[in-house]
Amino acid sequence: MEPVLSVRHLTKRFAGLTALSDVSFDLGRGEILGLIGPNGAGKTTLVNLISGAFRASEGDLRFEGAPIGALPSHRRAKLGIGRTFQIMRPFPGLSVLDNVAVGALFGTGGGHRQLAIARELAHQKLEFVGLAHRADRPAEALGGPDRKRLELAKALAMNPRLLLLDEVMAGLNLAELEAVFAIVRKVRDEGVSVLVIEHVMKAIRSLSDRLLVLHHGEKIAEGKPQQVLSDPTVIEAYLGRRRAAHEGAGT
Amino acid sequence: MKRPLARAGIVAAFVVLAGIPWIASPSIVQFGINMLLLAALAQGWNIIGGYTGYASFGNSVFYGLGSYGTAIAMLRWHLPFGIGLALGTVIAVIFAALFGRAILRLRGHYFAICTLGLAEVMTAIVSNLEITGRNTGLVLPLLRGDVLFYELSLALVVVATLIVAWIAHSRFGYGLIAIRENEEAAAAMGVDTTRYKVLAFSLSAAISALAGGIHAYWITFIDPVSAFDIGLNVKMIIVTVFGGPGSILGPVLGAFVLSGISEVLSTEISTVAGLFFGAVIVVAVVFMPRGVADLIRRFDKYRWRYFAENVRANRL
Amino acid sequence: MDLLWQGLVNGILLGGLYSLMALGLALVWGVLNIVNLAHGAFIMLGGYACYYMFSGLGIDPFIALPVTMAALFVFGYLLQRHLINLVIRAPMFNTLLLTFGIDVVLTYSAQIAFSADFRTINPSYAGAHFTWLGATIPLVRMIACAIAIALTLLLWLFLARTRLGRAIRATAQNLVAARLYGVEPRSIYALTFGIGAALAGGAGALYGVVSQLNPYIGVSLTAKSFVIAIIGGLESPLGVIAGGLILGLVESMTSLYIGATYTDVASFGILVLVLIVRPTGLFGRTT
Ligand SMILES: Nc1ncnc2c1ncn2[C@@H]1O[C@H](COP(=O)(O)OP(=O)(O)O)[C@@H](O)[C@H]1O
Ligand SMILES: [Mg+2]
Repeated sequence: MEPVLSVRHLTKRFAGLTALSDVSFDLGRGEILGLIGPNGAGKTTLVNLISGAFRASEGDLRFEGAPIGALPSHRRAKLGIGRTFQIMRPFPGLSVLDNVAVGALFGTGGGHRQLAIARELAHQKLEFVGLAHRADRPAEALGGPDRKRLELAKALAMNPRLLLLDEVMAGLNLAELEAVFAIVRKVRDEGVSVLVIEHVMKAIRSLSDRLLVLHHGEKIAEGKPQQVLSDPTVIEAYLGRRRAAHEGAGT
Repeated sequence: MKRPLARAGIVAAFVVLAGIPWIASPSIVQFGINMLLLAALAQGWNIIGGYTGYASFGNSVFYGLGSYGTAIAMLRWHLPFGIGLALGTVIAVIFAALFGRAILRLRGHYFAICTLGLAEVMTAIVSNLEITGRNTGLVLPLLRGDVLFYELSLALVVVATLIVAWIAHSRFGYGLIAIRENEEAAAAMGVDTTRYKVLAFSLSAAISALAGGIHAYWITFIDPVSAFDIGLNVKMIIVTVFGGPGSILGPVLGAFVLSGISEVLSTEISTVAGLFFGAVIVVAVVFMPRGVADLIRRFDKYRWRYFAENVRANRL
Repeated sequence: MDLLWQGLVNGILLGGLYSLMALGLALVWGVLNIVNLAHGAFIMLGGYACYYMFSGLGIDPFIALPVTMAALFVFGYLLQRHLINLVIRAPMFNTLLLTFGIDVVLTYSAQIAFSADFRTINPSYAGAHFTWLGATIPLVRMIACAIAIALTLLLWLFLARTRLGRAIRATAQNLVAARLYGVEPRSIYALTFGIGAALAGGAGALYGVVSQLNPYIGVSLTAKSFVIAIIGGLESPLGVIAGGLILGLVESMTSLYIGATYTDVASFGILVLVLIVRPTGLFGRTT
């Protein structure tokens, strides 16, 4: 079967820094691919490249077989690529419901033209993520975990075929985590492919069908969660990070 | 809900406004024309500034292009006023669409300053063209009809307000607001940000140009300095921000209130009036940063705490 | 050739003063993220302060200059602390509008207090000049330019070398960073605004010596400062010097070869071009 997303030799250089270097992988329909790696590994950069926020320095991106590397963000969104932002970006002046309605009005295939229908749909998504009781609050009034839910609802309202989730689970407690897991699985069951970023490994192990590990912008491992997490190179990358974090705490 | 009541109130206010020139003195009608044109200009600015979040200083350029387009069509080519007005508007819209593509990539202060520069350059260019009468300007045929100009200006305010009302409740408007609130996120959700910004800028330009054309024919004399006056653009911003940027009626309210205040004051010593005007702006920005529209909407709930809450939210 | 040389010299003398004018605006913009539309009015106030010290008390303008700067520092500090600070987290429109309101208030107050007449600070040596390589150089313009550049370099040293200066630069990147230097961000903001006002005051005093003062000069001086800050970027005072010199030279060359009425077109034309081609300024950081 043709992969939904196919990434080949993707490289992104910023002035004097290669954030992503020669990364290739495929993502199949209805698959959940976990993307892990220490802070600064290039995970968000990868999402930015797929969603079109950045242009790749080199490499090839295909979505459902068609090259998308040259398309601007909004065209990729129209094709069916939805994302969340790690640094959460609600529209602060809009109500929670209207934030999500923007996703329904635009998004895949250009979304719904009718405001009433879009808001109705937005309401469903809010219920789905458990935020319906906050629908009329201004988005800026939401606390941390609720903002994560809002990010998720906005992306879901776009009705995407490929969902890119950038650390929507960071900072959630166990119960909240389980709730998000359930949402992601349900979305996947509807045939959506999901790329989930999380740098806490435990959180992602049970959710992902497959794992991909980035370190210093390079792919260091890819495969079944169990097998990847016992890979010495991966352990090394994480141990190294933990040591660095330990030393960093002293300064 | 008090929606129907509010609507009836607006319609009643409109009827009263439309009736004023038939009973009021000429000077009041003239004051009314200026006030209504300012309201229309503010409403035009509201689309690009209030809804899209781009602080344009270029709307006075569109106003100037509308004035000159109308004047040149009537004087040089002997076309009727209506066609001149349409021509001026088309020119302004084309200008907005062309320059918009280039300068709407700039964000924040940079966009504001670039449009400011554009306004300066346009003034100078117009001051040096033969067809625009260089810096002596143009004199239009005289039409004594303040009532007509008043009703025309009122019609423009109504049309502009209806357009803004449509924007506020449409997919297009949600796209603009998304751009204002967070442009990257808007693009990631599928908003064609460049196209939307250029459209908003062009719509804003059309309204400004119509006001310019009406004003030119009414006042019968235009020159580069007055037609491209950046001070007018500053007024649009003040009036909109005072009234409530990104609201449907705020800019109109702002134009009415501030025109009224400055009219009352200018009968006193003009320096003191200017001083007071500045102080009003300072106090308004500090205590009601979201404008009169927001004050009206939320005063019921917060009462006098409203002002303190605003200060608390924005201070460091 | 002689004409060109004289034009270049005039442009550089003018440009030096321009850099000092823009310096405070750029500093405040970079650190507080506020474009202070009242900046030109501060320059105007500085000019009048120096004028009254000179004409009323007979103090030499170059001696009155530091006093003027100190007075404007206090004024700017208090204004930021008690007024501008109230809207510091509000959207851009609001801060623009607030400083515009302050500008209006200062302008009309100046008109009431000082009248609308033109004033010039006219010490006995005002007419003195000398010739250098064929170009005529008015003494006061030379001194004004030298002081302006000296103050700009001083600010650069202050920002680069002192603890407070580093704290200010850190705050420009990140508000909480100021805490790392043991300074409250709020004080940094007020201090920076005070320094910006002091620089404007100094520029105003020099402006009063080489040109004419009236209550309305503020708006166009703010606009010019804007242009310079854009050309030079907000990163460093050295960029502002470059921006000031470029604007001075452009204006002087334009008035020499095209006509004095075109100076504003030329400078704003450059502004628009720079912004379209390089949105972060000629010397700004590339992102
Ligand atoms: N816009 C940018 N400009 C310059 N460098 C960037 C930019 N975005 C990310 N980087 C750098 O790229 C590297 C990878 O960052 P990122 O993709 O955010 O990591 P992760 O999400 O895995 O924590 C980091 O070193 C970061 O500093
Ligand atoms: Mg990240």
